[in-house]
Amino acid sequence: MRNAIPTAALSEFVNEVAAAPEEAIMDYGLEVKWQSGTRAISETKPMKVGPHQVSRSFSWTSDEPRQLMGNNHGPNPQELLLSGLGSCMMVSFIAGATAEGIQLESVRIDFDATLDLRGFMGLATNSTVGFPEIRYQIHVTGDATAEEFAELHRKSVAHSPNAQTILNPVQLTGDIISTRIEN
Amino acid sequence: MTNPKILGDDASLPPASTKGGWLNDLNRARTSGPFLAAHPAPGAGLSTTAVHAGTHDDPRTGAVGTPIYQASTFVLNEGQYRSVEDGFARDRFIYSRYGNPSQWAVQEKLAALEGAESAIVFSSGMAAITSTVLALMDKGAHVVASSDLYGGTFNLFNQEFPTLGMSCTMVDSYDFDAIEAAIQPNTQMLYFEAITNPLLKVIDIPRLAEIAKRRNVRLVVDATFAPPVAMRTLDHGVDVVIHSASKYLNGHSDLIAGVAAGQRKLIDMIWPRLLNYGGSLDPHACFLLERGLKTLAVRMRAHEESALALAEFLESHPRVQKVFYPFLTSHPDYDTASRLLKNGTGNVTFFIEGGDKAALRLVDALKIPKQATSLGGVESLISLPFNTSQATFTARQRADIGIDPGCVRLSVGIEDAADLIADFDQALTAIYPAKDTAHA
Repeated sequence: MRNAIPTAALSEFVNEVAAAPEEAIMDYGLEVKWQSGTRAISETKPMKVGPHQVSRSFSWTSDEPRQLMGNNHGPNPQELLLSGLGSCMMVSFIAGATAEGIQLESVRIDFDATLDLRGFMGLATNSTVGFPEIRYQIHVTGDATAEEFAELHRKSVAHSPNAQTILNPVQLTGDIISTRIEN
Repeated sequence: MTNPKILGDDASLPPASTKGGWLNDLNRARTSGPFLAAHPAPGAGLSTTAVHAGTHDDPRTGAVGTPIYQASTFVLNEGQYRSVEDGFARDRFIYSRYGNPSQWAVQEKLAALEGAESAIVFSSGMAAITSTVLALMDKGAHVVASSDLYGGTFNLFNQEFPTLGMSCTMVDSYDFDAIEAAIQPNTQMLYFEAITNPLLKVIDIPRLAEIAKRRNVRLVVDATFAPPVAMRTLDHGVDVVIHSASKYLNGHSDLIAGVAAGQRKLIDMIWPRLLNYGGSLDPHACFLLERGLKTLAVRMRAHEESALALAEFLESHPRVQKVFYPFLTSHPDYDTASRLLKNGTGNVTFFIEGGDKAALRLVDALKIPKQATSLGGVESLISLPFNTSQATFTARQRADIGIDPGCVRLSVGIEDAADLIADFDQALTAIYPAKDTAHA
């Protein structure tokens, strides 16, 4: 199996979805629960793959370094954002390579990004609150030419849901349900 | 360099090269199968299907019937290597644990009988159940199942699931509100049996299918007690149907096998579990199963004829307290059975006066039925739940699920009804003291 992905099944799924678009609808959910200080636990909710419920029994801890009033008990939210971005770009890259028949030997995406916390702190500045730029390098070995890999890179970013979520405006629609407790 | 001939399903081809393209350029679509050769529908009737579907005469010699391909491995060419590389190895012959022509032939027959796109045979019914259930469940997943499951399946859910981080809620299969209430956000499957053992409850599968569809979960049904001819389970909205093929499907009590059938998409998900768990069926057993299946329709008609006549006789016998046979009007599920079952089966469960001691005397006094577990054979088989299928239960636990003392589990074979009735008549007369006159 090339890159440990069954091309035949991938092809069959693509053709199935072309005929039955509801099979392509993925419903995700995640719950973040405050634990202590800057530490929180994220838990995946069951998801739906097409019309079918799928158990997702995963959880992880996020925290800030001690310098940012945390205890350094887990990756911080910025690292998790980069992780979500990078692992999605990875799936896209591997699936695209497999569809093209490219055999990969190794793939590594190296991310760097700089944040100016003055935005978070509300200090007067022209800097953005979020990352103004995310830099990465894909290190790949496989049986394609440099040009083919460059084209695969372009297509994999263009089809990566998380890369496209970051690159494009997205509605963030939230409510707060509050309970006041008397002290 | 090597033989270019396709050794497998020649309708199954790799996706065309998409160099420079993206996923939407992939052109291989899913089809039913895999098929050994051309497979025109032999006819609409299930008897014709049972005889002809999947049976492929030897192309070299013209020998009638599928040859027994008693081989563990196959000569490889470029095509098979390619099938591994592109992930469609299920459609080529490589190694018999993955697939073998004898398996494919009987799988095609079973799929045709069930009206399925695809089927896989296994080395036992439990191998089919384990592979199917674990293919359709993920870490942390939950299943809703009936509270009177077959013991082997109960053990899988009760003993193995916790180790795998999975869980099961067992509910009364008549209580649809409880079934719905048991569905959780992590529930992936409803698992039920078409007809339960030993009380022969006939489950309202269309109603379960409606719930499963509405609640976005899969419905898997063990239809061992309701083989095709009696019921085509998939027609009622079931995702995967499973059988212990050791029972009615083979019908001769001479092999252990299982089968899972359904949409190709789902059966292709189960296939890697066949490989990982290793429950592949030996080619010779495939031959026996294929041969047994050819007479499925006539056997099922004979089972019904003798079972119904014997059930009616037992129901009229003063020493018999209750008889369960789905085609008796007294059966609690007679209406469901009339709606879902196109043919009866051989299973009859009854309760006699004098409790389990009398039941023990009865099975010893009978001359025709073999005192043995299992069911669905051409020979009648008889056993008592209290010392076999439900032996680990206390009398109270047995009573809770309706297995009162004196319960006898009978699988009526295809012997003549008159002979069976005569045998039960003499045995029921012999086991009670002559002075003790029966009271109706």
